[in-house]
Amino acid sequence: MLDFKVVSAIFRKDMRVYLGNPTGYVFITLFIVVAQAVLILREEFFARGLADLATLNEWMSVILMIFVPALTMNAWADERRSGTDELLLTLPVRDGEVVLGKYLGILGMLTLSLLLTTIGQLSVLSVLGDPDKGLMFSTIAGYWLVGALFAAIGLMASMLTSNTTVAFILGVVGCLMLVLAGTLPWASGLVGVVLCTLVVMLVWYAARGTADWMGLVAAGSAALLGLLWLSRGIAMVTEQGEEAAAPSADGAVESSIGDRFSELFGSLSVTEHFTSFGEGVIRMGDVLYFAGGTALLLYLCAFLLGRRSW
Amino acid sequence: MGSEEDKTRPITIEAKELSKRYGNFAALTKVSFEVRMGTVAAFLGPNGAGKSTTMRILTGFLSPTSGKAKVLGLDPTHAEQRRELACKLGYLPESGPLYREMTPFESLGFFADVRAVPKPLEAIERVVERCSIGEVLHKPIYKLSKGFRQRVGMAQALLHDPDVLILDEPTSGLDPLQIRDVRGLIRELGKDKTILLSTHILQEVDAIADEVIMVSEGRVVFTGTVAGLRGDSTLEKRFYALAEAAKELGEAKKKADEKKEVA
Ligand SMILES: Nc1ncnc2c1ncn2[C@@H]1O[C@H](COP(=O)(O)OP(=O)(O)O)[C@@H](O)[C@H]1O
Ligand SMILES: [Mg+2]
Repeated sequence: MLDFKVVSAIFRKDMRVYLGNPTGYVFITLFIVVAQAVLILREEFFARGLADLATLNEWMSVILMIFVPALTMNAWADERRSGTDELLLTLPVRDGEVVLGKYLGILGMLTLSLLLTTIGQLSVLSVLGDPDKGLMFSTIAGYWLVGALFAAIGLMASMLTSNTTVAFILGVVGCLMLVLAGTLPWASGLVGVVLCTLVVMLVWYAARGTADWMGLVAAGSAALLGLLWLSRGIAMVTEQGEEAAAPSADGAVESSIGDRFSELFGSLSVTEHFTSFGEGVIRMGDVLYFAGGTALLLYLCAFLLGRRSW
Repeated sequence: MGSEEDKTRPITIEAKELSKRYGNFAALTKVSFEVRMGTVAAFLGPNGAGKSTTMRILTGFLSPTSGKAKVLGLDPTHAEQRRELACKLGYLPESGPLYREMTPFESLGFFADVRAVPKPLEAIERVVERCSIGEVLHKPIYKLSKGFRQRVGMAQALLHDPDVLILDEPTSGLDPLQIRDVRGLIRELGKDKTILLSTHILQEVDAIADEVIMVSEGRVVFTGTVAGLRGDSTLEKRFYALAEAAKELGEAKKKADEKKEVA
């Protein structure tokens, strides 16, 4: 089991470090300004005449894709550069506690930024009209889940290298892959392959009996994610099978196989799972996608930390 | 104190043929030694000898390429045993790393939280007094002088009143007065704790250690008492002679390896 007192001590330490130097405040301020600017400064916002966040939705994943890796790039690199990783990892802590504590620190900063942004936007929208509070809530919850997933990607990137710039680029690329998975077949293919490898690796790891309970949880959520994904794939294949049966041209069937594949991988895309949040609907499957993906990545972080390879 | 060989005391720190390679570079080659309970042992060697690498292995921060380490009978490469060991071990890493944005008080609070120290405020008060950091307790660490930082590092290592202390160059970067204070503190702590401290300063060995383990070029070149190291010569002469010999041995081995590869 994880000792949550230790997790909380590391979380509080990290929040203190983030807020103890100017970068933390610069980050929050920039985030609010950019999010506000993107919401309001675009023509559509006034043209639509609706007091909602729709004009922000399509841009939010891009904003998060840049801001979250900027926040996480130093998460582990800083500890390594200052040598405090040696202090931290020789304390009576488990790898999972360190990862979770650090992750919650990042999530804390993200939550703070989103919260302050929301307050700002709510006040702007209230002046202009009567915003739908429920829609607003689901949209922000969606942003938060996207950010939470990206934070796990960024944390992992910062554990893979002690170079801040490389960690940032790795983080952005990782997030970009997940965003593009819905539109570009090669990106979706790549994400799909990575996910499949992870699932196989974790299940094998769990089956060998070397995994602790966290490993089992990670393998479980990976398998669940895989199952969700496969069940969609099967549903899609059978649907398309019926469609394909009507016009029996050979070319149509071939192209639909290609489409099926890209659609199959496309269902791993962040954009696709965010859409319904933006429409005011919180679906279990989408929440599971974000939570499962985050859990999987965090487990991998703990796994990396446990290898002590540096 | 235990300057004479005292085989009845249990072995607290044990290194068995520890080797560590960074890529092709052998930082440690079959390092073996033991430190018995209640001794102050100096880990002596020139810069780059492998002192910090060995200490990182003993504390479980690094894993050895081969060989075994045991501290208080616990294996630092085993995750659960390492955690148990960490509760009884105080460690001052090289050049005393700390969270710069925090104050000494906040830092000690953090370590007390993670270690679940009973009565944290009293424990903090005790080490603050012992390491004399009262006057800087609420200043951010990045504003402190090197001497104070090193003492905050010491306070961190002593916070949970550990049985074993591993101190990596505890006096480096300190002025003569501070060095005297830290040595005094170590001598006092050595009365009821097992201490392994690394140094490249010969006077330090003379001043505080019961026993010496000397390493050079990643190999142990001497273990025994300070008097034994000195022999009928001086510490300095012996130090240079041993370091030279290790260097020649290392070069000879390298040449032999190269010949093997050519053949
Ligand atoms: N992470 C590392 N990668 C490569 N070489 C290393 C690394 N850490 C230490 N070394 C090398 O190993 C040798 C021993 O280092 P160290 O244990 O720090 O020596 P000491 O503490 O005795 O000065 C040195 O030559 C050093 O350059
Ligand atoms: Mg060193």
